[in-house]
Amino acid sequence: MFELTLQAVYSGLLAGGWYAMVALGLALVFGTMRIINLAHGELVLLAAYVAFEMERSFGLNPIAAIPVALVVVGLTALLVYFLIGRIRHDRELNSLILTFGIAIVLTNVILMTWSADIRSTSVGWFMDGAVIADTLFSMNSEVLFFGAGVALVGGTYWWLNHTWHGRALRAVSSNRNAAMLMGVNPARVEAMSFVVSAVLATVSGVALYTASVVFPALGHGLTIKAFVITVLAGLGSVPGVLLGAVILGVGETMTATFAKPSLQELTGMVIFLLILFLRPSGLFGRKVVGK
Amino acid sequence: MLALDDVSMNFGGVAALRNVTFAMDEGETLGLIGPNGAGKTTLFNVISGVLTPSAGRLEFAGKPLGKAANWRRARQGIGRTFQIPQPMHELTVRENLMVAQRFGAGRTDGRRIDEILDLLDLTAKQHIDAAHGLALTEQKALEVGKALAVEPRLLMLDEVLGGLETATKRAFGQTLQRVRERYGLTMIVIEHDIETIKTLCPRVVVLNFGELIADGTPDEVFNDARVIRSYTGDSAA
Repeated sequence: MFELTLQAVYSGLLAGGWYAMVALGLALVFGTMRIINLAHGELVLLAAYVAFEMERSFGLNPIAAIPVALVVVGLTALLVYFLIGRIRHDRELNSLILTFGIAIVLTNVILMTWSADIRSTSVGWFMDGAVIADTLFSMNSEVLFFGAGVALVGGTYWWLNHTWHGRALRAVSSNRNAAMLMGVNPARVEAMSFVVSAVLATVSGVALYTASVVFPALGHGLTIKAFVITVLAGLGSVPGVLLGAVILGVGETMTATFAKPSLQELTGMVIFLLILFLRPSGLFGRKVVGK
Repeated sequence: MLALDDVSMNFGGVAALRNVTFAMDEGETLGLIGPNGAGKTTLFNVISGVLTPSAGRLEFAGKPLGKAANWRRARQGIGRTFQIPQPMHELTVRENLMVAQRFGAGRTDGRRIDEILDLLDLTAKQHIDAAHGLALTEQKALEVGKALAVEPRLLMLDEVLGGLETATKRAFGQTLQRVRERYGLTMIVIEHDIETIKTLCPRVVVLNFGELIADGTPDEVFNDARVIRSYTGDSAA
């Protein structure tokens, strides 16, 4: 029983590192633009399919496909940003409709380009087992991308706190009007948040492809997970995103281990409702008065 | 330094500013007064680029402001505060000033930030989160500090003394005088406290229902029959 629990926590932790990468991209855009990019999961999925295509057509290792995926996902993210910028009235609400539409378009582009077949990497190393302390099992790809996730989330945290672009992003996230009157160009900051979000989506998409199977309808579920984590974390908190992602990951694996695997997806929704009832500002969120 | 020519601002059928015309020289300090709803903050919003005027022309430092966005006007040297303090709450007090300096003034100078913090008595609070632990006076001081960090040529203060008790108001008024002397700024001050206006501003402009009704020294303005009427509502005055 103890070993089973330990294994569930370990697997959940690894999943959490990956979830954090997915969620942080959504949280950054949400923080700067106050919009929820409902196409974020599809951007992650697009990166996975680009990695698949590079492997199938050119025999590239998925990790080597990251630069190509980054260009494709980055340009797509900037297109989403450009379209959102065309919204003239009630951007917060209308962007939901727009990004939902973009998500449907992207899903269908993926479907038409790569069919509905399930895809996974043929590079065996990713699926090989890594064993820790004789008892904890995982795939190499899970460990690799957990490390990448923690490094990217940590790097983003450092970037936000120690660079001028990061501070500008936090300034716009804090108070857009005040930041503008301090000389910060919000359009540039918002575009930057989309680019950073695209980098996180690309790495997490390639990770998804190496650790699991992908299919065109997967994106929507990824967006929901990212949104649950963003709400759980509280707006504007990078450590909160990491902790929220680990809570969701461990919650899911515990549910799968001790209840039913089919109930795993329900965990996020239960956590989501609990946090909305008990702590709507999230674990690390702040109540802002008079903003 | 600043010239407004026939500036009007309409919100639907409501005229918030009507053909406002005045000019300011470099280094001048102007008091902007008027009853509530007179259009004082709207005028600040028009000058700082938060609002685009419905009609009229604005010039700053000899160049037309046109439809330049507010962040561009900050970079051109227009700094302002808000009635209700607007800190960037995810940043520390010092970071608020650093961001304003880096993006508004286009440079980084830690000594200048230290100087502003010292001038506004915020040195001890510089590393705390701007969202927490600041008293109202300190929030107001941070508001002024952010505007100063932009290194403005024109500083517009919107009721920075509002809500403060008399003794604090006097002390903060003296701080504003030190700020003006230290940086030799051109300033527009919106304030309801007459003593503060008399102390800080050699010239006062009065708005009423969006219209400029008086422009002169404090003594001239406060003895002007139209100004008295605008405050008392007494048509016999």
